[in-house]
Amino acid sequence: MSNSYNKPVLPKADSKKVSIVVDGADVEVPEGTNLVEALKTIGIDTPHFCYHQDLPVAGNCRQCMVETDGPRGMGLAIACYTPVRPGMKVATDRSSEKVKTARKAVMEFLLANHPLDCPICDKAGECTLQDNYMSSGKHESRMREEIGKQYKGAPEHRHLDAKGQDRGGKHIDLGPTVILDQERCILCDRCTRFMRDVAGDEQLYIAARGDHAFITTFPGQPLQHDYDLNVTDICPVGALTGKHFRFQQRVWLLSKTETIAPDDSLGANITVEHHDGHVWRIMPRRHPDVNKSWISNATRLLYQTLSENRLTGGSFRGADVPLADAVERARELVHGARKVALVASGHLTLEDNAALLALAESLGSRAEVFGGSWLAVGAPDGIARSGDPVANRLGCTLLGISDNLSDLVRRAKEFDCLVVAGHDLWAADAERAKSLSVIPERIALSAWHDATAQASTLAVGIRAWAEVRGSMINVQGRIQRLQAAPTAPTPDLEPAWQVISRLGHLGWTSEVDAFRFAQGRIPALSGLNYRTIGSQGRILEGVAP
Amino acid sequence: MATLTVTQNFGKGARDLEVYRSLGGYGSISSRLFDLSQFELIDLVSRSGLRGRGGAGFPTGMKWSFVPRNSGKPVYLVVNADEGEPGTFKDHVLMQEDPHRLIEGMIVCGWALGVRTAYIYVRGEFLPAIETLNAALKQAYAAGLLGKNIGGSGYSLDIYVHRGAGAYICGEETALINSLEGFKGQPRLKPPFPAVSGAFASPTCVNNVETLMALPWILEHGPEAYQALGTPKSGGTKVFSVSGDVKRPGVYEVPMGTPLMELLESPELCQGIVGELKGVIPGGSSSPVLTAEEARKANLDYEALAALKTMLGSGAVVAFNTERSAVGMLTSLTRFYAHESCGQCTPCREGTGYADRIMKTIASGKGREGDLDHMLDLAANFSYTTICPLAIADAWPIENFIGKFRPEFEAEVAKNPDRGSPRVTKDFRPGAFW
Ligand SMILES: Cc1cc2nc3c(=O)[nH]c(=O)nc-3n(C[C@H](O)[C@H](O)[C@H](O)COP(=O)(O)O)c2cc1C
Ligand code: SF4
Ligand code: SF4
Ligand code: FES
Repeated sequence: MSNSYNKPVLPKADSKKVSIVVDGADVEVPEGTNLVEALKTIGIDTPHFCYHQDLPVAGNCRQCMVETDGPRGMGLAIACYTPVRPGMKVATDRSSEKVKTARKAVMEFLLANHPLDCPICDKAGECTLQDNYMSSGKHESRMREEIGKQYKGAPEHRHLDAKGQDRGGKHIDLGPTVILDQERCILCDRCTRFMRDVAGDEQLYIAARGDHAFITTFPGQPLQHDYDLNVTDICPVGALTGKHFRFQQRVWLLSKTETIAPDDSLGANITVEHHDGHVWRIMPRRHPDVNKSWISNATRLLYQTLSENRLTGGSFRGADVPLADAVERARELVHGARKVALVASGHLTLEDNAALLALAESLGSRAEVFGGSWLAVGAPDGIARSGDPVANRLGCTLLGISDNLSDLVRRAKEFDCLVVAGHDLWAADAERAKSLSVIPERIALSAWHDATAQASTLAVGIRAWAEVRGSMINVQGRIQRLQAAPTAPTPDLEPAWQVISRLGHLGWTSEVDAFRFAQGRIPALSGLNYRTIGSQGRILEGVAP
Repeated sequence: MATLTVTQNFGKGARDLEVYRSLGGYGSISSRLFDLSQFELIDLVSRSGLRGRGGAGFPTGMKWSFVPRNSGKPVYLVVNADEGEPGTFKDHVLMQEDPHRLIEGMIVCGWALGVRTAYIYVRGEFLPAIETLNAALKQAYAAGLLGKNIGGSGYSLDIYVHRGAGAYICGEETALINSLEGFKGQPRLKPPFPAVSGAFASPTCVNNVETLMALPWILEHGPEAYQALGTPKSGGTKVFSVSGDVKRPGVYEVPMGTPLMELLESPELCQGIVGELKGVIPGGSSSPVLTAEEARKANLDYEALAALKTMLGSGAVVAFNTERSAVGMLTSLTRFYAHESCGQCTPCREGTGYADRIMKTIASGKGREGDLDHMLDLAANFSYTTICPLAIADAWPIENFIGKFRPEFEAEVAKNPDRGSPRVTKDFRPGAFW
């Protein structure tokens, strides 16, 4: 099936430009790319369903029609599979009635058998079928009851409505994460291509043929894969929905904060989508060189922990104390101690770790900084994870923090105060962490009531990753930006760097102060700021291992 | 008796190797074939004027010349014996009657293209033909006509029979290749064309059974002799499957350019029409239908039929008399194409089914004014907008049956007392109907 291996050629920053004629005007576009991409570079959107930048081209929806010149004059062709050729002539719907008619026809064909249940469909508001109807359809229906619809669905899943009419396959539980509504499917084949060509495990397929074809799993087999929820993003309609988000929120209510995944050192680009102070979902944000359009299910479901088990105040020797009191108590303990061990964390931002280093500096020889992690490192999965759960490991290394937790364990007795910031040592390895219990004052700065917070004598709540601004350096040596969603469980919670600044009287007023400090330690950061890091991050020259 | 180039062994028991040989079979292999270079052979086939008999009529020599040499990959020959076009049944009979001629043709093509492995993709329902082919292959292997070092030439060829699962779309060459590879039988995007990247991503030549079976005669008698049998642009002879309202339906081979009525009426051929002729489908169900009047002017060659805006196609001639209902015929055809659409492309998948449902509504007396134009509009909208020509193969019958027999369709609509009520009510949501 070699046609499924037609990877689209995408424009690159250094692509050679060639001239073509679009709707009668001479334009310059990148050579060799398909016309959907080429037209995008000159500001023309081509409506499409099946085409996806990160999947092989299937060319089956026929929505992306344009006219191009060939040996027999201008003729219809699909833009997603037609490469740019120097001097070629292209006509879009702006100049060609034929193109307009062809695109409109595809909309009519798709809607002829579609249930049109937008009011109860989770995809409404971000549905390609709705969007393309507005750009290319806007037709009056010619359907009538005697002609009837052919709803899609497997024979065993057909569903009758209140009037006893067959409405196709509804709410089919495909596995642990995904629900399928077969009747909404437009058979674009994206989900099957994702499973076959990206996930590498062909668990979905299109059964039967013609208008009685339907999407399904293999008999008796579930859809179950670490990345299977990505099919709910690329499904252009509401046929595949995630159990976690189904019927939770109308998507047009959601505000989006662009940030990165904190659970892996590839730092998959994501958006945190929230409404009314609550995060409702995490979506992948495309980065061609990091995670393409994909995130793992684990990353996607991380938002659920943002509202679970949060440490919203402080706790001292098991009793809840107000946050401000907890910070004050921590400051006293640190300053009163004879020798303080500060444990940095690759789960926190560069800014947070910079603050810890600044605190150590202010305490002079009384403080020592330890780093590293006890979490197991796996292998890259080739999709959106490096396998290293310590997201900012490289950032810590570049800041000069060593991988020396084992030294701390060995020398625990030398210290009378321990500060662990954003690092659940007791969950990672309770056995080894136990030896740290000989340190009499153990302060945990944590966003959660985690094992380390519980094992500490003083716990101070901080903001979680989705609620802070800052940066991390991924395994590729790319500095990437985290941005703060306004979803902290209480407004008093502060980011770790700010709490640490209070402990050390650093007087820092924003992340920028912390970033400046990090720039002092990492020469490759010089000249950068949050704006120049931008939404796609920046590769730091010469830092990747 | 006209010269026969493909069916001359019918009824002579040529399934058996000895009989086939006694009739001159495998003559090309013992005599000329291995003395010709690949280029000479391709040139010879080009000069014969042989064109693909599977439907598209593509010049065979030219197709062969597109197959790259030295690509570093094997070249495959795939015989298209899927024969799914309604009205077509010649390939089945050809394989049943003269399987060795197909094998011989395959050796000729194989030598021309440097093929080491060839497949015969046979429609699943053709069990008898599959058995015949397998028996013939066994004999040919035993006689050293296949396998390693054929006839001491140093050339080796293996042939496998692959049984399809009975889908019309698997006759389309790239769907056939997908099916052969074990995937769902759906046409591929082109380019690449099979000649460059076909089976197992290697150069592949797909030819119809009849195309290959013409080769032994061409080798024996020379390309000029073959060409001279037909018209200047459509050389040779063609095998027709004739069915419908004729006195003696069956498989007939006639020279290209033979008048259609001669095929239908000649005492040696179909022996005349049963009843009064109303129309003829000249080249399989996809080809535009001809009225009786047009049929009387038609000659059976590519150009003459193209001039009548129809086509020779696979050579399936279906004649029908005035007792037959055009509405009924179109209803079966729209049902066929809706059922056989592979379901990849939106216009074909949803459109052929939509058109079929309208057709059913009309045929069941519930048609309304505007339905016929709606059908025509849908047909136009799924023409030239899809991956393969199956959608057009549905559009042509729709356009031509309605176009040429419109009063019959209108009479059918007129049976509905509600035919005039509006088709779209004002309060319909766009795209919705309740
Ligand atoms: C929908 C469809 C069905 C087809 N079915 C057949 C078939 O059953 N047999 C066949 O020989 N060619 C069939 N063809 C034509 C083949 O794609 C191809 O052109 C042919 O096998 C090439 O062989 P030829 O050049 O010898 O004719 C079909 C084409 C289409 C589009
Ligand atoms: S379920 Fe969605 S992604 Fe899959 S084929 Fe249907 S519409 Fe496309
Ligand atoms: S035109 Fe029809 S049969 Fe051909 S590829 Fe498209 S959907 Fe399949
Ligand atoms: S986007 Fe081009 S055919 Fe679907």
